[in-house]
Amino acid sequence: MSGPDPTEDLLDLYENAPCGYLSLAPDSTIVRANRTLLGWLDLSADDLVGKPLRDLLGTGGRIAYETHLAPLLRLQGFVYEIALDLRCDHGLVPVIANASEKRDESDNHLFTRLTLFRAEDRRKYERNLLEAKIRAESEAEQRDREAELREQFIAVLGHDLRNPVAALKAGTDLLKDSGNLGTEDREIVTFMDSTLDRSIELINNVMDFARGRLGSDISLDLQPAPDLDRKLETVIAEAKAARPDRDIRSEIAIDTSVECDPDRLAQLLSNLLSNALHHGRHDAPVMVKAITTRDELEVSVTNSGTPIPANVLETLFQPFDRGSKQGNHDGLGLGLFIVDQIATAHGGRMEVVSDEGGTTFKLVIPSKESE
Amino acid sequence: MIESRNNIRTFGSGSPTLLFSHGFGCDQSMWEPVANRLADSFRIVLFDHVGAGRSDLSAYDKAKYASLDGYARDVVEVARSIDTPDLVFVGHSVSAMIGALAAIEAPDLFKQLIMVGPSPRYIDDGDYSGGFDEQQIEELLEFLDNNHLGWSAAMGPAIMGNPDRPELGERLTNSFCSTDPDIARDFARATFFSDNRADLSAVPVPTLVLQCSEDIIAPVEVGKYVAENVPDSSFVQLEATGHCPNLSAPDEVAQAIRHYVRS
Repeated sequence: MSGPDPTEDLLDLYENAPCGYLSLAPDSTIVRANRTLLGWLDLSADDLVGKPLRDLLGTGGRIAYETHLAPLLRLQGFVYEIALDLRCDHGLVPVIANASEKRDESDNHLFTRLTLFRAEDRRKYERNLLEAKIRAESEAEQRDREAELREQFIAVLGHDLRNPVAALKAGTDLLKDSGNLGTEDREIVTFMDSTLDRSIELINNVMDFARGRLGSDISLDLQPAPDLDRKLETVIAEAKAARPDRDIRSEIAIDTSVECDPDRLAQLLSNLLSNALHHGRHDAPVMVKAITTRDELEVSVTNSGTPIPANVLETLFQPFDRGSKQGNHDGLGLGLFIVDQIATAHGGRMEVVSDEGGTTFKLVIPSKESE
Repeated sequence: MIESRNNIRTFGSGSPTLLFSHGFGCDQSMWEPVANRLADSFRIVLFDHVGAGRSDLSAYDKAKYASLDGYARDVVEVARSIDTPDLVFVGHSVSAMIGALAAIEAPDLFKQLIMVGPSPRYIDDGDYSGGFDEQQIEELLEFLDNNHLGWSAAMGPAIMGNPDRPELGERLTNSFCSTDPDIARDFARATFFSDNRADLSAVPVPTLVLQCSEDIIAPVEVGKYVAENVPDSSFVQLEATGHCPNLSAPDEVAQAIRHYVRS
């Protein structure tokens, strides 16, 4: 005879398999354990047989066995991949266990069989992952809390700035109406007035931004707005009054009463217009167009001047983007972010074209024609 | 709405109606063997607590279910949705106390309570022996962290985000007891850190305590404590051992329920 014996010694396989075997009576009393498992636990068969399984488990494992594993075994006949710690005199033996019920022909429960794999490294690895996850979650939570605090601060600051600025504005309004101003005084007051308008706009932007970040998105009051054209005309008229030196042209042709938030669209136009007046060439006109096509409303503002570089275009609508390095800026760079938020909230979008022919910001929103 | 939130199932016919409530760990399948044995003479109502089984996970509210009161409010709503003058509540494990709180809240809805393996407090406190200390409960929470029992994290958001697509909630392996690990953790905390000893004397309806021997979750002394402190109560010691006689000895449990309800 040559070659290895092809028959495996099954008894030896049971006793010395590279895994532990444990058999339980239906009442969870241990009736048999293989030598591998006894070796791990440093126990003899006599130590273990007749003991309840719970003697091997920590409290966590015991409760889980009673509340989860035993019911699962009864309900589906098996449980796979359970992480358990077996207790013995020299400490804990971490294992992964599979278990199944041995039943007779009439479905009576005879034994519960467990196969146990020693899993020190794997369990350690899983614990490390778990700890890393918990740490990452708590750090993220901390960051969120801090960010929220900062944004609340911004919101409060914006709110508190409103009143003093409103008082100044009321003052300049009174001065404008007063009949006894000299030409030079009148120019100064007009300049102050437009600066205050710009300040109010900036404060409103900051507050909208903070609101958006604090979870309450830009709020819309959607309604059929037959007076949208008048609202937009008012914005244009205000801009003209504030900047009498500039040439602002407009074409407003809105046929249908579009369902929208007219005040928000006025705010959007005001932001776009003030950008165009700031960045556009001062000796060229700014063109405002508001038209309705068959199913869309378009509002666009065009100015002449140096085109916006392609790399800046990409991040233009993100908060705090200040169209970098174009110089001559004021404000936090929230205007276009809010413009974009208003467009999105209307289910629409912003489009930008910027080349030698000029720069155009265009709002496109679906015009749900209201009855 | 409550029907789908709590995955309510009704079958059988007869009076009274038996409302079965599962405990910490699995879901309404825990009660099926007993309920099937009683369906010939009683109307049976099974349900899942929110967060367990096939309940609507999008209804899970961390704050509401941080204590047993949240679950008790649901039981009152479930009981109210069952239109019957004769309702017997049967609660296993922590659901025994959830039922007690519901009966205190709405005494008119319940005719009797049957508590299987109840415990008004699991953690020792002075002279009171609940069977555990806090450290041991922390060990349980650690076990739950290490064992998701067939729960796939990817399933969570899918189920939560698509309540109208139940096929996404199809059961996986080990799924009878699979729960979102965070919810399992919350329920373990709500259960094992509860203290309802003071509520026992306020239980307004006749109550039966069914007690197993060798129940490490709810030891015999704890079951007796419950029976002694509920005004109108009876205590029955079962032959069954362990914490889940509804699965290990459904004949005996069904028999005890039948006897109490009919006597």
